[in-house]
Amino acid sequence: MRGVRGPGEKRAAATVVEQDMFDAVVMADERFHGEGYQEGYEEGSSLGIVEGRQYGTLHGAKIGSEIGCYRGFALAWKCLLHSGTGEKDSRKMKVVEALITLLQHFPYDDPTYERLHEDLDRIRGKFRQLCSLLNVQPDFRVTAGGSRLAF
Amino acid sequence: MKDSLVLRSRVPAHPDSRCWFLAWNPTGTLLASCGGDRKIRIWGTEGNSWVCKSVLSEGHQRTVRKVAWSPCGNYLASASFDAVTCIWKKNQDDFECVTTLEGHENEVKSVAWAPSGNLLATCSRDKSVWVWEVDEEDEYECVSVLNSHTQDVKHVVWHPTQELLASASYDDTVKLYQEEGDDWVCCATLEGHESTVWSLAFDPSGQRLASCSDDRTVRIWRQYLPGNEQGVACSGSDPSWKCICTLSGFHTRTIYDVAWCQLTGALATACGDDAIRVFEEDPGSDPQQPTFSLTAHMRQAHSQDVNCVAWNPKEPGLLASCSDDGEVAFWEYHHPAGL
Repeated sequence: MRGVRGPGEKRAAATVVEQDMFDAVVMADERFHGEGYQEGYEEGSSLGIVEGRQYGTLHGAKIGSEIGCYRGFALAWKCLLHSGTGEKDSRKMKVVEALITLLQHFPYDDPTYERLHEDLDRIRGKFRQLCSLLNVQPDFRVTAGGSRLAF
Repeated sequence: MKDSLVLRSRVPAHPDSRCWFLAWNPTGTLLASCGGDRKIRIWGTEGNSWVCKSVLSEGHQRTVRKVAWSPCGNYLASASFDAVTCIWKKNQDDFECVTTLEGHENEVKSVAWAPSGNLLATCSRDKSVWVWEVDEEDEYECVSVLNSHTQDVKHVVWHPTQELLASASYDDTVKLYQEEGDDWVCCATLEGHESTVWSLAFDPSGQRLASCSDDRTVRIWRQYLPGNEQGVACSGSDPSWKCICTLSGFHTRTIYDVAWCQLTGALATACGDDAIRVFEEDPGSDPQQPTFSLTAHMRQAHSQDVNCVAWNPKEPGLLASCSDDGEVAFWEYHHPAGL
């Protein structure tokens, strides 16, 4: 019959069974803590990847829209200055061309490019110099999200 | 060391305000001061005393942080917290603002003329350094916007003979720039200071650069050209700069300014402990590892932080200083007897 100790069975075996039972109860807290932590960690990791991806997309889009704006600006002014003569205009044209060249060499599809920030700073510097020469005030207010092209 | 620095005169240059900076004109006859009261004052001697010859008051909306004379002495540039740099033309005792240079996003911290007189540099809290070119018709054009520093840029200074620009920043570094093709680039970064670098000064030959910092030290840097005898490594054709001396343990607070006398080679410092100190290179010290000794220590030179020290370019030993207490003081320095 099950559950009934036979006359020959050692008392120790019974003790082990009892100890396991208590073990399960006493260690329950720690075990649940561990399991919970593991589940949480895995869920957090995958949520983190999702959040990171969203952040990367947003940040990348911001840089993309900033560079895109500089490019449009430079190309537009290239046309406008084309008809101009005189020394001042040739200096402005030189800077426009320099900015266009910098933008063309910028690796849009490589976020791990080691000189990303250095090159971005050079582009921004060139843009500010161009604005100064053209006497145009750039609007540098950064808006969080939104479809308006204001940075 | 006693009596090596003696007070000649004291004037309340910017009353109820701070006096931020001083600049002697190239002939040493006039001293320009600027301050928190948004004014620039021009001082000259009349007999034995210093008097205010002109007041330039309508130029700026906020504190004027630095002023600089052009090498010809006919123009004065002023850098202000209102984000604008004004260029003033001197007409005897009158000054007229002929141009305003805009472009910086916020407070302009410094302005400096290149020795050729054709270039001007400005720097700002917006972390950028701008180089401007001026033509014969007094037209200014931005030649480059340099974004090398990662923090507020405090000071810019030109090399005395080469077209080399140096800048000091809150990011603890000093950067050097030169023209490369059609653009200006950062050709060296001097690291070593442990806190904000406030000011810079080249020695008379331009071979050495002194920097002073919030870390209470003055560092002396030396330029090594490619192929130098000392075996200092250079990358390509760019010169290298190495720190050859550190003056530490002399200042008890931030050092706000350092000035290298072009006539005597003496080094003066302006400190947040209200004192002015003068150092001189020990005769016979190794040019690659020079040693400097403290030859004057004027405690309580002012009643508050000393912001600027400036050696007169023509009269050896004449030193001007200014402070948060709004005063300008004139000192006479002599190499101490018996040293």
